[in-house]
Amino acid sequence: MRDNVTAAPVVDRLALAMRASHVLVAIFVVAGLVFATVGVAMKDTFFLRLATEALIFAGLALSVDILLGYSGLLSLGQALYFGLGAYVAAVVLKEIPSFWVAMGAALVASLVVSILAGLIANRVRGVYFALVTFGLAQVAAKAVYNTRALGASDGMIGVPIVPIDLGVATVMSNSPAGFFLFTLAFIVVLYAISAYLLDTPFGRVLLAIRANERRVPSLGYSTRNARLAAYVLAAVVAALSGALYPMLRGFVSPELLFFTTSGNAVITVVTGGVGTLAGALYGSVILTVLKSVIGSMTEHHLIVIGLLFMVTVIFLPKGLMGFIRPSIERLIGGGSR
Amino acid sequence: MLRKTVVLTSLLATAAFTGPAIAADPIKIGVVTPLSGTYTGIGQQVRWGLELATKEVNAAGGIMGRQIELIFEDEEANPAVAVQKAEKLFEVQKVDFLTGTVNSGSTLAVGQTAERAGKLIATTVSFADSITGDKCSPNVFRVNARAGQQSTALAAWVVKQKPKAKVYFLGPDYEMGRSTVSTFKKTVEGLGAVSAGEVFAPLDSKDYTQYFGQLRQAKPEVLYTSVAGNDTVRLLTQMQDFGLLGNMLVVGASGTVTSQNITAVGAAANGFGTGVGYSTQIDSPENKKFVDAFKAANKADPDLYGADSYGLIYFYKAAVEKAKSTATDKVRDAMRGLDWMTPQGKKTMRAGDHQAVQPMYVVRVNDGQFKIVGNVSGEEAVGADICTRF
Repeated sequence: MRDNVTAAPVVDRLALAMRASHVLVAIFVVAGLVFATVGVAMKDTFFLRLATEALIFAGLALSVDILLGYSGLLSLGQALYFGLGAYVAAVVLKEIPSFWVAMGAALVASLVVSILAGLIANRVRGVYFALVTFGLAQVAAKAVYNTRALGASDGMIGVPIVPIDLGVATVMSNSPAGFFLFTLAFIVVLYAISAYLLDTPFGRVLLAIRANERRVPSLGYSTRNARLAAYVLAAVVAALSGALYPMLRGFVSPELLFFTTSGNAVITVVTGGVGTLAGALYGSVILTVLKSVIGSMTEHHLIVIGLLFMVTVIFLPKGLMGFIRPSIERLIGGGSR
Repeated sequence: MLRKTVVLTSLLATAAFTGPAIAADPIKIGVVTPLSGTYTGIGQQVRWGLELATKEVNAAGGIMGRQIELIFEDEEANPAVAVQKAEKLFEVQKVDFLTGTVNSGSTLAVGQTAERAGKLIATTVSFADSITGDKCSPNVFRVNARAGQQSTALAAWVVKQKPKAKVYFLGPDYEMGRSTVSTFKKTVEGLGAVSAGEVFAPLDSKDYTQYFGQLRQAKPEVLYTSVAGNDTVRLLTQMQDFGLLGNMLVVGASGTVTSQNITAVGAAANGFGTGVGYSTQIDSPENKKFVDAFKAANKADPDLYGADSYGLIYFYKAAVEKAKSTATDKVRDAMRGLDWMTPQGKKTMRAGDHQAVQPMYVVRVNDGQFKIVGNVSGEEAVGADICTRF
C-alpha cells in the first residue's frame, strides 16, 4: 500500500480507500439491478421485499458506521432515530398520504431531536457515550410503548400504500421491484452524501478525533462542533431510512426502537467492516438473508447467527469489506499510476 | 455474491415446489409463533395444540381427503419479524391459511399483511380487544376469548357474589395495566358496582404497603388488580401480612396469578378469582378426551393457548368442508357464523366482527389449584360488536 502512495502522491491513502468503497458500492448496485431483473422475471414478491427491508436496515447500519467508523463513537441507540423516522412517517402518512411530506417531517424531527440529544450525548466519550445513547433510546422506546396515541405496545397499523412522485415517474410503495429499486437508489444517495461529507476536511477532523481527541484542539479544530455534526448526520441518515419502513410494511411497532434494532445495526457494521461505509450495505444484506434462511431451518437460529458473528470477528477482524477493500485499493491504485 | 447465490437457489427451489395444486396436495397452514425469546412458553403450547389436532384430523382422513401440513416460523415476539415471516409463508410456501401470532402487535401487523395479500389468518392467543374491535379486518378471525370477554365474565360473577359492591382498583402503572383496569371498571360499574378508588403502582414495585392506608380507608369489599409476575407475589403476600385479605374478595386479570407464580404466592393466593376462557377442569367428555390426549403426547397439561390452538384446526376444517374450497372469499363466507366443537364446548364465530363467542368460566384458587366456581354464557360475555369495517 505504501508503494502506491509513493507512486501516486496526489492520491492519499484515505482518498484511495474511499474510492475503493465507491467501487464496492458500484458492484453492490450492479448486483442489486441483476437481482431485481431476476426477481421481476420470476414474478417474485417475497425476496424483492425482503431485500428492500435489508436496504432500509442498511441505512441504519450506515448511520452507525458514520459514528463508529469515523469519530470512533459507539452508539448503542441508533434505533432511536430509525424509530423516530418510522413513527413520524407513519403518523404523517396516515393524515397526509404524501411521500415527500413524510420524508420532510422525518428530516425536521430528526434534526431537532438529534441536536438536542447530541448536546447531551457529546458531553461524554467512550463507554459513557455508548451508555448515554443506549439510555436515550430506552427512554424513547418506553415512552412510545406507553403512549396510547401512538398505539402503545401494539404499534400502529393502517399506514397507506403511497405513490412516490419522482417527477419523471411514479413508484408505488407496494410494487416489489419498483420500491426495491427506489430504496436502492435512496440508500446509495445517503451513502454518497455521507461519503462526500466524510471525505472533506470535516471527515479528517473526525478521524483525528478517533485517533486522539485531546490533540485535535491544539491543531486549531473544534472537536465539539465536529462531533455534533457527525451525530446529527448519522441521526438524519437513520431517520430517513426508518421513514421508508412503514411504507414497505404498512405498520410501525415499538420494537423498532428497542435495543435489538440498535444492536443488530452494530453487528451489521462489525460484520461488514467498520469505517468502510460500503460494509454497512453488504453487512445488512448478508445478515438479513442469513436470518431469513437459517430462521426457517431451525428455531436455534440465534445461536447459529451468534457463532457466525464470533467467527467473523476472530478471523476477519476488519469485517468483510475491511478484508476485501485493500485488494480493490491495490487494483485502482495501480490503475492510476 | 453470497446474497445472489442464496437468493437464486431459494427462488429456484420455490419455483420447483409451486406447481398447480392437485387434489391430493396437502393443505398448508403457516404458523408464525414465538419459538425463541420471552414468549417461547406460549409458542410451545400453540405448537402442541396445533400438532395434536393436525395428527387427529390427518389420521381421520384429513380435510376433504387432503392432509394438513403445518409450516412453522419463529416470530421472536416481534411484529417486524412476524410480518416478514408471514410474507414468506404466503408468497414462497403458498400457505392456504395462517395462525400462531401471540402478541397483539404481531397479530394486527400480520393481519394487515394478510389483507393486502388476500389471505386469511386467525389468532388463538392475542387478547387485545382492538383486533376484533376498532382495528378489525375482514381477513382476521379470533377463536380465543378477548380481554373484554374475560373481564365481563369476572364482573358478572363479582356482582352476583356481592351486589352493589364497593370495588377498589390497583394496577401496574403502564399502558396495558391502565387499560385493563379501565375496562374492568367500566364493565363492573355498568353492572351496579361502585368504585371506591384506584391507584397505580410502578412496575416491579418492591413495597405495596404504602398503598394499604388508602386501601383500608376506602373500605372496599372487592379488590381488582392487574399486576403480574413477581409483582403479584409481593402484593398478595404483603396484603396477607397486613391482614387485609380476611374479608375482601380479591379478583384480577387472567395473567395475575398463573402457574408460574402460584407456588411463590402460596397461601396468599387462596380465594383469588379470575375470568378465563379455558380450564383443564371443564367437565365435558370433549375436554377429558383432549386433556388426556394432550398429556399423552406432550407430557404437560394444556393451558388456554394449547386448547384454543387445538380448536382452531377443527374450525378451519369445518369452514373448508362447508366452503368445499380453500379460496379466501369462500372460506371467509363459510367461517362467518360457523359453529364448531372445541374442548371448551361449542363456539360460534360472530359474523359481524370475526370474534368467537364461547362460554366463559370464573376460576378461584383453592390450595394452589384453580377450581371452576362459575360460568357465564357466551352471549352474555361477548360484548357489543363495534367493528364497522365489514
